[in-house]
Amino acid sequence: MTDVKDPIVRIEGVTKSFGSFIALHEMNLNIASGEFVTFLGPSGCGKSTTLRILGGFETPDTGRVILNGKDVTALPPNKRNVNMVFQDYALFPNMTVRRNIAFGLELKGLGQAAIKARIDELASFLELTAYLDRRPDQLSGGQRQRVALARALAPDPALLLLDEPLGALDAKLRAQVQVELKAIQRRTNKTFFFVTHDQEEALTMSDRIVVMNKGRIEQDGTPEELYFQPASRFVAEFIGETNLLSGRALAVDQGSAGFDWQGHQLRATSTPGRAALAGGAATASLRPERIQVQRDRPATDNAVQGQVVNRLFKGHRMLLDVAVGETTVQAYTDTDRGRELADGPVWLGWNANSLTLLAD
Amino acid sequence: MTLSNAPGKADRPGFWGRLSGFGPYAALTEVLFASPRRQFLVLLTIPVIWVFVTHLGPILQMLNVSLLTNYPPSPNKVPSYTLEHYGKFFTEGIFITPFIRTMVFSTVLTLTTLIIMYPVAYFLARHVPRNRQMLFLMLLLIPFWVGEVVRIFAMMILLGNNGALNLVLQFLGLTERPIPFMYTGFSLSAGIIYLTALYMLMPLYSALEKIPANYSEAAADLGAGPWTRFRRITLPLSLEGIASGCTLVFLISTGMYATPVLLGGPSTTLFSEVIAGFFHVAGDQWPVGAAFSCIMLLTALAVSGGFNKIMGHLAGRVKK
Amino acid sequence: MTRNTRILMQCIYWAFVLYLLVPLFLMMLMGFKDSKFIGFPIRSWTLDWYLGVFNDTAVVQALGYSAVIAVVSTAIALFMGTWIAVALTGRSFWGRAIILGLTLLPAVIPGVISAIAFRIAARVVGMEPGMWAIIWSHAIHNVPFVVLVVMARLSTLPKSYGEAARDLGADPIITFFRVTLPYLTPAMIGGGVFCMLLSFDDFVRSFFLGGYEPTLPVLIFAKLRSGMSPEINAISTIVLVLTALLGLWAERSMRGMSKRAAND
Repeated sequence: MTDVKDPIVRIEGVTKSFGSFIALHEMNLNIASGEFVTFLGPSGCGKSTTLRILGGFETPDTGRVILNGKDVTALPPNKRNVNMVFQDYALFPNMTVRRNIAFGLELKGLGQAAIKARIDELASFLELTAYLDRRPDQLSGGQRQRVALARALAPDPALLLLDEPLGALDAKLRAQVQVELKAIQRRTNKTFFFVTHDQEEALTMSDRIVVMNKGRIEQDGTPEELYFQPASRFVAEFIGETNLLSGRALAVDQGSAGFDWQGHQLRATSTPGRAALAGGAATASLRPERIQVQRDRPATDNAVQGQVVNRLFKGHRMLLDVAVGETTVQAYTDTDRGRELADGPVWLGWNANSLTLLAD
Repeated sequence: MTLSNAPGKADRPGFWGRLSGFGPYAALTEVLFASPRRQFLVLLTIPVIWVFVTHLGPILQMLNVSLLTNYPPSPNKVPSYTLEHYGKFFTEGIFITPFIRTMVFSTVLTLTTLIIMYPVAYFLARHVPRNRQMLFLMLLLIPFWVGEVVRIFAMMILLGNNGALNLVLQFLGLTERPIPFMYTGFSLSAGIIYLTALYMLMPLYSALEKIPANYSEAAADLGAGPWTRFRRITLPLSLEGIASGCTLVFLISTGMYATPVLLGGPSTTLFSEVIAGFFHVAGDQWPVGAAFSCIMLLTALAVSGGFNKIMGHLAGRVKK
Repeated sequence: MTRNTRILMQCIYWAFVLYLLVPLFLMMLMGFKDSKFIGFPIRSWTLDWYLGVFNDTAVVQALGYSAVIAVVSTAIALFMGTWIAVALTGRSFWGRAIILGLTLLPAVIPGVISAIAFRIAARVVGMEPGMWAIIWSHAIHNVPFVVLVVMARLSTLPKSYGEAARDLGADPIITFFRVTLPYLTPAMIGGGVFCMLLSFDDFVRSFFLGGYEPTLPVLIFAKLRSGMSPEINAISTIVLVLTALLGLWAERSMRGMSKRAAND
């Protein structure tokens, strides 16, 4: 768990179940002001439940939610200084864009002039000025998404919740909106709480990612930490592609470890607190793009020999299936080298910091 | 990019802003919507009271009055509870006959309407192009927006001794003297079908419309003939439409009053006329009328409920 | 389906259309007959019967009376029906099936029995026969239709719309008026016109619950029993035109709704 000084949101021991299904187990989490936090996980992992609890749409069975130092656990959504961008945007179809954005401002008791000023400010910021008098069904997907964002930002919430808001966009637009959204978050300096099942989206935008599985936090860290030092097999598999090597952990030190895999004595890294693994069966994660493939033995910390059994052409690079002993290891290489290494024995090499010992 | 929340004096909030900032209103919503559970109870209270008091209440009142010795109460005769009015129905033959007639008549008419309307619904759903279905349907719908009494009157003009039908028959030389269609079982049947056919058509149409055309084509592809295709595919899949159409028509025909009065004769007296009779004369016959109403309501609901159960069972077997 | 059966079905359809429309057409025609006796053939024509309708104060009064009853009972039915539909949609709770069943009850009770039950209930609570008794009976009878139409529309309302409104600071009441109600409007117009037609056309409840003042169908009924005259044709024709126009308008409004729902 990441230490957060002076958190804007504190989730303390929150449990939520629906019938016999436990959506959240004793969750604890702090979120700092101005952070872009992403909740990542497969469907049913509890990420949306967390979001809905923060929004006030669900009440936790136990635990508390503290917003700006105030306990808001029992407050209904309309009494919280939290706004949400919905998955389907939920723009009111009977109102123009202007009326949609004004909705929350009117209910805050703002006067007509103040509302107009605020709408103009947001519209120019989000490039919506030309569409203010249109209805939602006259807008494109990307425009709707920006209107939903403007509407949620208008009342100046302490925390902005985003429930997979890019799910409805096509792949190309999505990549563009990811960049825009991150820029908007930086410029507004708002705390964004983003929920997605798309690991690439999470890696691109977030300051911090919380990976969830089966109602529990699996790992909490920066995108790079998650990618290169996955704490568990689940995280390693969920984020990016990886090779999972089953073997035995040897001596586990602070930060480094020995790993016995099919008789190869490998040097690996270990996250703190894995000392207990020493001597037992363990799994290690090895990212395919961190492996060097060549004919001669590479000068890396670890090197094993194998046989190329298959190759997949991916355009700018190639994915090789290399049989090592009883298992197959996948490794990326550039296309030209892949062609050269089409058949025959090859060496695979990687450094200790690319092989991470996992807790199962 | 923060919001400056300091509106000027002249800058007045709109209606919704003023409402939600209005003290008494805010206090009221605070109490009403304190929790999701409270909110749910607030939302449900009035509907529950309404359906129990106004939907169920009158039926229970009718049941209650049917068990009283006399109603409305008079100072010299305080009502007590009795079953004698129900006994009257079974002991006095003059009531049984119209009752049985009503039930048989309604059943036969329901089946007749089904047989007539099924091809009409099938034709509309299957053989009329989609974009023209509404037009074809409209031709049938328009007459049904016209009230019961007006339509009965139209029937009377058609079937009267000087009516259009007799005029045509005489013109064609099929009959010399006008045939007395009116005030017979024929005029009554024609009138009831005229009034209820739509309630058969609509459920049938929406059931048939939902069956994908390619089911039938697939069956034809497998070598099923037209009759087999109808019996094995179309008919089973329209069972629910048949069930709701028949239920509606049956319940409506048993409850008709103006139609038998205006189109029927002495030989076609229906039970609704018998019941109504108890309410036209001075008050103390009401309990008898109420008792007879209860008998009819129970029978009608039992018949249609039983029918629905059978159809539901059949439809369930089809789905398996 | 063979060609012959198709032609047969087409014939049945058109025969049925004739069966439905010819009597109404003849009825309209008879209103132009220049004689006191209803019946064919028509030898000379007049407009007097139609003109006479508007000078007959009893008819004009009955028309107004029926219209007032239709409007007020529809307003009550829309209010209660919408409330019930909103309360019953999107939640499952113990007793929901019972409440839904009771909600639909008035629609399945045979007409004459429903009229009698209302007559007795009015007497028990001390309500005199007359306008208010009729209005209540019509409102109660029409609630199920409103509930069905509104529930169908509500089931297409995304749950997130209401949540978005709550999220932006609206309490449940404001959410209903600003989000739910506008979404329901087309269904309520369609359902409302249907209720007005049912009320305006209703005979049996108006007959049993009416006082001395007749509604239009009750007036026509009374005139029919005391002897037919082409004046009744003229009245009926006017009623027919009014109701058909109202019905067509409702049908269009409902169709617009389903079209818009498909676009959403």
